[in-house]
Amino acid sequence: MSKLSVNQVSKQFGGLQALHDVSLETDREILGLIGPNGAGKTTLFNVISGFLPPTQGEVHYDGRSIHRFRPHRIVEQGIARTFQIVKPFSDLTVLDNVLSGHGMPFYPSWRAFFRRYHTPLTRQVAREILELTGLTAWRNAPANSLPIGLQRRLEISRALATGPDLLLLDEPAAGLTAQEAQDLADLIRTLYDQGKSIIVIEHNMAFAMSLCQRVIVLAQGQIIARGTPAEIQNNEQVINVYLGRKA
Amino acid sequence: MSEYLISVAVFVGIWVSLALSLNILTGYAGQVSLGHAAFFGIGAYVSAVLAVRYGQSFWVDFTGAILITGLAGTILGLPSLRVRHDFLVLATMGINFVVVALFKYVDFFGGAMGLVNIPAPTLFGQPFRGGLPYLLLTVAYVFFAWLVSWYISKTWVGLAFQTIRLDEDAAAAVGVSSPRFKIYAFGISAALAGGAGSLYGHFIGSVFPDTFVFVESIAILSMVVFGGVGTLRGPIVGAIILKAAPEMLRFVQDYRFTIYGALLVLMMLFQPMGLIGDDSWLWRNLTRPFRRQTKTSPESQEASQ
Amino acid sequence: MPFLQNLSNALVLACTYILMAMGLSMVYGVLKILHVAHAAVYTIGAFVGLLAYGWFGNFWIALLVAMAASGLMGVLIYRGVYFYMLDAPRTVPLIASIGLFVMFTDLLQKDFLMGPYQQALPVGGAGMPRIRTEYFSMTPKQILIVLVTVVLLALVYLILSRTRIGLGWKAAAMDREMASAVGVNLNLVVALNFFLGSALAGAAGVLVGVYNNSVFATMGDLPSYKAFIIIVLGGMGSLPGVIVASLILAIAENFLVASVGYVLPRDAIAFLILILMLMFKPHGLLGQE
Repeated sequence: MSKLSVNQVSKQFGGLQALHDVSLETDREILGLIGPNGAGKTTLFNVISGFLPPTQGEVHYDGRSIHRFRPHRIVEQGIARTFQIVKPFSDLTVLDNVLSGHGMPFYPSWRAFFRRYHTPLTRQVAREILELTGLTAWRNAPANSLPIGLQRRLEISRALATGPDLLLLDEPAAGLTAQEAQDLADLIRTLYDQGKSIIVIEHNMAFAMSLCQRVIVLAQGQIIARGTPAEIQNNEQVINVYLGRKA
Repeated sequence: MSEYLISVAVFVGIWVSLALSLNILTGYAGQVSLGHAAFFGIGAYVSAVLAVRYGQSFWVDFTGAILITGLAGTILGLPSLRVRHDFLVLATMGINFVVVALFKYVDFFGGAMGLVNIPAPTLFGQPFRGGLPYLLLTVAYVFFAWLVSWYISKTWVGLAFQTIRLDEDAAAAVGVSSPRFKIYAFGISAALAGGAGSLYGHFIGSVFPDTFVFVESIAILSMVVFGGVGTLRGPIVGAIILKAAPEMLRFVQDYRFTIYGALLVLMMLFQPMGLIGDDSWLWRNLTRPFRRQTKTSPESQEASQ
Repeated sequence: MPFLQNLSNALVLACTYILMAMGLSMVYGVLKILHVAHAAVYTIGAFVGLLAYGWFGNFWIALLVAMAASGLMGVLIYRGVYFYMLDAPRTVPLIASIGLFVMFTDLLQKDFLMGPYQQALPVGGAGMPRIRTEYFSMTPKQILIVLVTVVLLALVYLILSRTRIGLGWKAAAMDREMASAVGVNLNLVVALNFFLGSALAGAAGVLVGVYNNSVFATMGDLPSYKAFIIIVLGGMGSLPGVIVASLILAIAENFLVASVGYVLPRDAIAFLILILMLMFKPHGLLGQE
């Protein structure tokens, strides 16, 4: 599996320093990224996944320098992401949403003009993914008819369809019931068992702590702590940050 | 069939293929263009120039029109990489205006007087401007445009178009490069419009700049949206109705455009998905006998557990 | 010597653009709809102004009546058409607006309305003085235009910054749902918005009709295209941007025509500016997005 390495990444928006000197490495694990609102977690995802260029610093994946890549090229490297506010292809069916990810190898080439996207083979692959994420019954429903919990699963299904080795999940448990969150955690563990590496941004503490093997805490654009969930929970700086006290 | 009816049919056919071409750009790829008449014009002018200034046969003119307009489309589509939605609408308006100004003021294109004396097409030495042969040619082209549209909708390109229409960021997240596919969409739709332009020029025998002004772009977009944007049948029906109606409604000659405008407004108020678009009253009723009994939806299954 | 004169003429031209584009910007700011039918309220303003001047013989009354008529027309368009399309995909209100534009343009040309020919609007200077200096001069009509524009702009400024409606408009322009959630009466705000914006366009129509002594059914076409360009140039939804952009466009048209006029028609200048803007500075010179 491939190593993601974020080296001293900073991101500035005008006067606002969203990320400052952030470095991390991950390889074949379930990594949690937590922190208070506005800490820069999604910004970091945006930098890694190519939606934003870093102001400073570099991102490497599998030996390659990827911080200059546009999002569609990042996907080609094997990194897929979901969005904090779900972005389904609303008019398309659940099946077509998943298929859109499956087309990733074809889009950059002329073969895109000569292959049907709806074939028994592609439907089969899509159905396998939908089985995994529990959306089989909904496969022909338009994406915008799904309740939010299922739309989150659809996001993940679509990301899986691109065949990634690294998944960036942005608050996948937001708005889910306890049971749904539990199912989601099981799904993520299954994906890990299948060989994938996962970084999860989460607000839901219990969820993150029980799921992740390692946790990184971001506050005001900087990493303030790293470690196992147990270590983090006892880290005074982290506690203060969450309770609003000065560290 | 009378000469007049054949003429009307040829015109309707040309506009149907125009509507189909715009549908690929606006209906599939979601790039709303209020300047499509520019491509219609470029095709007509390229074809006319090849015929009148270079003495080429119709088939060369026609092919040249398609290829060169397609190329023009990829270039003139570049603004769509920088701007979206309303800004794009305005940009395409501006492009339309500038293209027509070029035709009007550059002597090579004949200026305001246009280009005349475009010879009739010949097939195996036989000329055929009017009449059934030209109608057949037009129908063949309509079929071609329809085929291209249908084919694209089945391939990955078609799916990619849908993704950039619905959400460019999500599209990028599944590997679809918006710039690449927008250029594809502009190129293909422009090429098809260019072919229609060539057919038009050779049918009338002359081309004038004012045929391709902004008002015409509005007309083409209206046909697509009126019929049902994004579907294959919508632009066809929309073009037939909106193009043939003014001819057929000669008895309301004086109020043709008032009615035309009112039709657009009413359609958008009551059937914004188009006359025969998905979920329109007409389509739902036409397909009612063909729809399978829908199984109870998964949510009602869950609820009953 | 001609420089100041050109500048003065450009100022007058800019005023008519400002009135037209301001209304369009106000509509777009809140509804995000490309209100192509704006051309119609401009023309209707000129027409009603013509009729009112015929009845009352007084320019100022005619102007007020025309503005009221245009404003009313604007509200009708909103309430009768756009109101039902606020959440529809973009093409729907766009095509509806186009439909309205086509309808009005056709109807206005009928004999019982404006007819196919132009008519005179012989108002004269409405009592305005004439300015004559050694560097430039301004005719009474020109002064009239500038004066009316300044007064109306001041009025708009006051309404937007001092009244509750104005605040509501600003809130709605930033985020419609949010504004509604905090109690802004969206319907009222938008309706007044349309009224005001359309009234401004109506005033522009009257002023241009007076200035050129000519009123005709398609007089709104070109000004409305330019108004779109101006709101892009100035930043969609930015009201100060409209003023700056109108000035820039008017100056460009006046000065460039003098030097390179024969290559492209004056109106193409506007569109070239548009395309250049959209390629290099899509959010306008002053706008934020």
